Amino acid sequence: MIDPPLSSLGAKVVVVTSGDEEHPPENIIDGDSRTFWMSTGMFPQEFIICFAESTKVSAVTVDSYNVKHLKIEKNTSRYASQFESVTEKEFEHTDGHLQSNSISLNGSSATHLRFIITSGYDHFVSVHRVSVPQLPS
Amino acid sequence: MVKLRARCLLLGDAAVGKTALSHMFHNDGTLFQKNYSMTAGVELLMKCVNIPETSDSVELYLIDSAGKQTLVEACEKMWGELSMLCLVFDLTSEQSFVNCSYWMERVRAHCQGLHIPGILVGNKSDLTARREVQASVAQEWAQSRGMEYHETSAKEKENCDALLLSLAQTFHSLYQERRSAIQNLSPG
Ligand SMILES: Nc1nc2c(ncn2[C@@H]2O[C@H](COP(=O)(O)OP(=O)(O)O)[C@@H](O)[C@H]2O)c(=O)[nH]1
Ligand SMILES: [Mg+2]
Repeated sequence: MIDPPLSSLGAKVVVVTSGDEEHPPENIIDGDSRTFWMSTGMFPQEFIICFAESTKVSAVTVDSYNVKHLKIEKNTSRYASQFESVTEKEFEHTDGHLQSNSISLNGSSATHLRFIITSGYDHFVSVHRVSVPQLPS
Repeated sequence: MVKLRARCLLLGDAAVGKTALSHMFHNDGTLFQKNYSMTAGVELLMKCVNIPETSDSVELYLIDSAGKQTLVEACEKMWGELSMLCLVFDLTSEQSFVNCSYWMERVRAHCQGLHIPGILVGNKSDLTARREVQASVAQEWAQSRGMEYHETSAKEKENCDALLLSLAQTFHSLYQERRSAIQNLSPG
């Protein structure tokens, strides 16, 4: 089953550190792994996905390039603040093709997911798609 | 429009003029002093440089490090993650040029495989009579390592802007290179 783009479900994405107008953060949730958001130097880098409503998240799939270490935090608040940490993962380096990692989030509910890239395999990293498998409700 | 950010380490022997150069950038030249105390730790300052003929810019976070051998261990911990290197030597000191290889090695070990783009700077170009390092030799050394070479005088405020621009352009080119590589990636 192909997960619908998060954007079509009313999700939004905001970045704290953004740089390249041609590769905006919206590319992360458009469901297309050919479009991407790219970091523009130094770590950490982060982006936050805001769901339209509280959503049960069992896992996320992250398609990226040159990401080394990723932390995920969440909250259930209306605001993008006061996050609690959920998990973190070290990604394997890939050469010439995207990294694709599925990360389990224990099915907890969230209104915001915060992704913090603490290190990379290069000065710049890109995130091409974050998708959330739909849970039967 | 692209806004890049780079953490750039000023590195080289003690007394080559790293602090004088960084103060030039900071205050656009108004703060050159005859007597600096030896830099004790690290100092951070930020300078935003526009890339000509584009709407792109690079925020350079310059880290001035101590060049005193005994302080290096302590300072290296504070280098953190580096984006770029600005390697400085004194044109009137052959030894400070020879030691550039040593500094490069330190950075390479520190960064564990990550390629750190950089430029080479021969400072104190105003002291022409005391010059010990020929431009062609330094140029060749830099070129063989893929670095740009510049000569500056922090004292006479010579060429300091060119140095900043060169740093910014080096990082900007790297970004463009990486971005087109990413555009050509195959899906995972
Ligand atoms: N003549 C001349 N002296 C310089 C120049 N740059 C720095 N100096 C002097 O060299 C000495 C060491 O400079 P400093 O910036 O502290 O070196 P650092 O240890 O590399 O940070 C100071 O006395 C400066 O005034 C320059 O371009 N020309
Ligand atoms: Mg100094």
